[in-house]
Amino acid sequence: MIHEILASRKKLIQGIPLSIRKAEGEGGCGVVGLASSVPVSGKHILSPCGQMHNRGNGKGGGIAAVGLLPEQMGVSREILEEDYLLQIAYLDPKARNEVEQVALLPSLEIHHSYRIPTLDDYREVQGLELRPPEVWRYFCRVKRDALEGFILKNSFPMGQTSRLGGTPTIKESTRSVGANPSVRPGMDGHRWAEDEFVFQNTFRLNQHFYASLGEKRAFVVSHGRNMIVLKLVGFAEDVIQYYCLEDLKAHVWVGHQRYPTKGRVWHPGGAHPFIGLNEALVHNGDFANYASVTQYLRQRNIAPLFLTDTEVSVLLFDLWSRVYQYPLEYVIEAMAPTTERDFFMLPEEKRKIYKEIQASHIHGSPDGPWFFILARNNVAEKTFELLGITDTSMLRPQVFALEEGEVKIGLIASEKQAIDATLRSLSEEDPRFCPKADRYWNARGGSHTDGGAFIFSVRANSPAEGGVKGGLGSASSSLRCTNKFGEIITTPPGQVHWRRDGVDPIRRGMDNPSVGVQSALGREPLLTGKMPVLLGEGGWEDVKEKMKEWQFDTLLGYCREIVEISKKGDKERSQAIQLLTLLIDRHYDTGSKKRSSVLVIVEEALYEIFSFRHPSFLYHLITWENRQGLYAPEGQEEILVVDVHSFPPEGDSGISRFIVEAYQKGWRKFITFDWRGQRFCGCGLGPGTKGVRIDVYGSSGDYLGSGLDGGEVVVHGNGQDQLGQILKEGKLVVHGDVGQTFLYGAKGGDAYILGNAAGRPLINAVGHPHVVINGTALDYLAESFMAGDPLNGGGFVILNGITSNEKGEIIDLETPYAGGNLFSLASGGAIFLRDPLERMDEGQLNGGEFFSITQKDWEIILPYLQENERIFGISIESDLLRGRSPEEVYRKILPARRTVLQETTPNH
Amino acid sequence: MKNNQELITEKHTQNIHQGLKRLSTLRHGIPGGLGNPRWTGELLLATYEMARTGDLPTNGLEYRVGKSGGGFDVLDFKFRTPNSEFRTPNSEIDLSIPLNRRPWGAKIEIPFPIYGGGMSYGSISLNFMIARAKAAMRLGTFTCTGEGGYPPPLVPYKDYIITQVATGMFGVREETIQYARILEIKYAQGAKPGLGGHLLADKVTTEVARMRGAVSFSSLYSPFPFHSVYSVEDHRKHVDWLKAINPEALISVKVSTPTDVDMVAVGSYYAGANIIHIDGGYGGTGAAPEIAKKNIAMPIEFAIPRVHKYLLSEGVRDEVVLMASGGIRTADDAAKIIALGADGAVIASTECVAVACTQCGNCERGRGCQVGITTTDPDLSLLIDPEWGEERLVNLYLAWAKRLRQILQDLGLRSIRELRGRTDLLVKH
Repeated sequence: MIHEILASRKKLIQGIPLSIRKAEGEGGCGVVGLASSVPVSGKHILSPCGQMHNRGNGKGGGIAAVGLLPEQMGVSREILEEDYLLQIAYLDPKARNEVEQVALLPSLEIHHSYRIPTLDDYREVQGLELRPPEVWRYFCRVKRDALEGFILKNSFPMGQTSRLGGTPTIKESTRSVGANPSVRPGMDGHRWAEDEFVFQNTFRLNQHFYASLGEKRAFVVSHGRNMIVLKLVGFAEDVIQYYCLEDLKAHVWVGHQRYPTKGRVWHPGGAHPFIGLNEALVHNGDFANYASVTQYLRQRNIAPLFLTDTEVSVLLFDLWSRVYQYPLEYVIEAMAPTTERDFFMLPEEKRKIYKEIQASHIHGSPDGPWFFILARNNVAEKTFELLGITDTSMLRPQVFALEEGEVKIGLIASEKQAIDATLRSLSEEDPRFCPKADRYWNARGGSHTDGGAFIFSVRANSPAEGGVKGGLGSASSSLRCTNKFGEIITTPPGQVHWRRDGVDPIRRGMDNPSVGVQSALGREPLLTGKMPVLLGEGGWEDVKEKMKEWQFDTLLGYCREIVEISKKGDKERSQAIQLLTLLIDRHYDTGSKKRSSVLVIVEEALYEIFSFRHPSFLYHLITWENRQGLYAPEGQEEILVVDVHSFPPEGDSGISRFIVEAYQKGWRKFITFDWRGQRFCGCGLGPGTKGVRIDVYGSSGDYLGSGLDGGEVVVHGNGQDQLGQILKEGKLVVHGDVGQTFLYGAKGGDAYILGNAAGRPLINAVGHPHVVINGTALDYLAESFMAGDPLNGGGFVILNGITSNEKGEIIDLETPYAGGNLFSLASGGAIFLRDPLERMDEGQLNGGEFFSITQKDWEIILPYLQENERIFGISIESDLLRGRSPEEVYRKILPARRTVLQETTPNH
Repeated sequence: MKNNQELITEKHTQNIHQGLKRLSTLRHGIPGGLGNPRWTGELLLATYEMARTGDLPTNGLEYRVGKSGGGFDVLDFKFRTPNSEFRTPNSEIDLSIPLNRRPWGAKIEIPFPIYGGGMSYGSISLNFMIARAKAAMRLGTFTCTGEGGYPPPLVPYKDYIITQVATGMFGVREETIQYARILEIKYAQGAKPGLGGHLLADKVTTEVARMRGAVSFSSLYSPFPFHSVYSVEDHRKHVDWLKAINPEALISVKVSTPTDVDMVAVGSYYAGANIIHIDGGYGGTGAAPEIAKKNIAMPIEFAIPRVHKYLLSEGVRDEVVLMASGGIRTADDAAKIIALGADGAVIASTECVAVACTQCGNCERGRGCQVGITTTDPDLSLLIDPEWGEERLVNLYLAWAKRLRQILQDLGLRSIRELRGRTDLLVKH
């Protein structure tokens, strides 16, 4: 069958020149995707897209939605699920009649069609410079005679069924003819042939009306079942607005901000998503072997028409999944091959298969950097899926998140802050969503551990499980997250979210941010004044113990009480801030409460205290609205509290420049809160900033503390990418994970990370940085590390390989480091690895050697572990050593004394 | 009393100076072993002579082209027949170019269309760096740190020094970013695109290692590419970062010449670059791998017209400054690349020649450079006295300016800006 399908395309591509050069350069982009157990409206994809504006340039935006509602689509559920949902963009509105006569009516049975609604005037969407195309929607199936002719002509094997097409079900074959126009007895078993027909019909249409003469009059935007794609020249949020998708509901959404290098882009053909059959793909990256991939596809009679990376990526996906019928795991392996040590860590059986896959498809495997997000209607499994796949070298930013409560949602994005923005938006509309995810993580590309890919699938529960008849789209759908190998990712069981049932539960309305709206805490009259609250010494120990027994109501009352007490004076306020900050930073047993909800409540209390406007000797509050009134600290004023959320993400009026201005006016201590992904926090202060401290609450952005030279930045939560680049002196503390290229080119300074680092931490670091990473790193830790001799003032990294469980207990990770590239090409510095079970082997070092640690080593690292204990509460005795001696627990990695770095190679 | 070491240095220096003077008199003819087809012996001697006198050679030395048989060496100008009417008087010819063509940001002009390219502390000696900085200051143009830190003796000249931020980020810190009026983000070097930077162990002396915070006598690599920049949108973020640290600085983006150099250039423009600096395949010192030089990047003569045309078609050509480097040896080369579409040229090898480089190609060795240019050896580094070097470089630039004026006069133009993109004035011979 594979052979027949590919052979049938031969005629299709005749005369199309093989183009091995991309039509235009394209870089990274902003990508976001969500899959939810309940259908959610398009407006929620607006805010993450808006917040990743700076990852696009307004030259292309697009969305895809999978798992729609029949009532919103104007068709029956049966038609929505069974028909192809063809959407055609008419760049030239006059082309419609011709397209329909030539490409649709002869072979397709159209059950319903309409022009999809738009705003009357595209100029209503601010920033939209070009009129987006008119898009028509057709629900259709292939006419019986046309399909029979197609099968005969191409000698498709009759009577054969494909895994994806499925055998005819009893339900389908017993339906009476006429009840539904789409039923053709005897033909449903050949869905795979019909799929191929639709695919080829689209190709022909695009070739004829778009690519061939360079006229670009019309093209198919999408044709899959129960899914739509829309795109235009503009930003992704413009698509939502212009095509009136704010209230359109779907289970799976993806959004894409494009950043083509060309300035003049006049039509949306090159914008993402691109389609296979039942899937839409968005891409962040730019791969190096476009020529090789197009040639690989050409050998299989496939020719791209839009000449972009993204198009060929989805063509590969379609080829491997629909034509070759590979299971998803193998498709992912073909895309992002498992290599080096990771390959050898695979079970024997997988190695055998993967080797075959790699041998067959390596020429078609996209060479990074790339990161794909796919939305697909998996018709065979009857699931709606959201997939994120990272390249083997992990060259693009990527964050995954999962929330499992009354409703379940999985999210994927280029930045964590975009995920937070989506959840915030959702929770404002539907109290079942928590504005923080239960879990955030990064994928390790091409790895044996997670395969570098995660799949969120939405499936209707069977009636036995309490599902409602009506299949997908019903409120009782469930969501499951798995990795490439099918292993399930989940959140701690037995815990519930706090449900915020109120009219206006958020501290402040989105539209009028500075006005204090009644807080969630204020809605809880119970317990006020009755809750014993202990501030100061012992307060933390007290609440930590009690927390696990508390209901959400009790926690709310406790926070309410703290807020009240903190109004008494600066001393109480400082103590309250300290205590609530510990509740955000530390991990402890939350009992039956989801940690994410606890954080939401505590953060709200904290933000309320930060937002106090009554007089204070110590604190001075600045918001976006009153920023111009910034003055030098007066009297005892010491701490500048900045509400960051309305500041733009970068540029002259950005928050980073504001902090510099305040620093120049004499401010040294900053509490900054409600960050929404703004970049460059702590950059630009210049040299010698000892004494400066910036506390960061909320969703901080990229490049935080990059350039820091003396000051201290403390992040209460996760950090994003490029933190602490070229750090010279000072201190960086992150109560969470950090992203890509952490401390790239650092020269010194101290850094303490509670969680994990993503790819390439400390690459090219020199001098004397001292770093404690309590979790692990994805890979390429300390590549080209050149930080001198650690015993003589040089730099080092302590990697503890620990995490905490839902009870707040410190536990060991399975291995302190799973990657195959540690300390590559390093010529100086050291890594102190906490590896009591000696899980790591020489094969993981790429230029380093293991040594035992000495008393001298221990003396050098001890002060850093003590500081680590002070900051994170990670005890040296009970959490790290656990009764063993340092020599038994820590190992040292030093650069191998290889000649490669010492030799000079003569040219002559 | 001079000590032994000082006496040796003095003697060597004198000999070098004598040689530079005598050789270009042609009293002994052109030494047989000197030069190569691109940098012919004659061209080297002519450059020595210009750096000595500040004028064009008068003894018949060829100072315009080499003998490579391609590129600049087969291009010539279509000079108009000498006619005094259309010749602009020397004093009225304008060689200046702006380095910022955007409507906002600092307005910086240089008096002639050339500045010095990045060579790091480590790849070259400190004395030569100081000489370059002094010359740049005297002339009102720029030189560039390269990637090896910002040695403190350079700080007095900071207004005339471009701080380079390259992929290893060696020596880059907020202070050095804030020193500069122009920041150069170096993505690749035309001599070895895709290979990153190398400084082999020999040259990583204690002093060099200290400046970079690295380990002495251990080879240093700058990765390719920036590990935080894998796309044009990352690049924009990178530019925004530098602007967050130094909002006033102009941004120059130095890239090599991949096959899609035109798209790279236009992408850099949209990401906020003021200067796009395209580095072709004929540059680089002897430290660049022989296999890479001239074999990976496309020639600058080919890349520049492509980028120029693409920027024109995008309608943004007049908002960005296009600088060319990688094989600009003479004032004629510079004029030709401008006629091909660049605004100006960036030179480094020629500056080395001005201070006695013979193009011997031993640059990667710690004690390979016998004239004290590409060395970090404490003794050899002394062979270039900063004042002497400054004088030589200033003279070279003055001679080039004379030649550029001549060319413009012969073409009937009044300003170097009028020459840009005038391929119609070029002819192949």
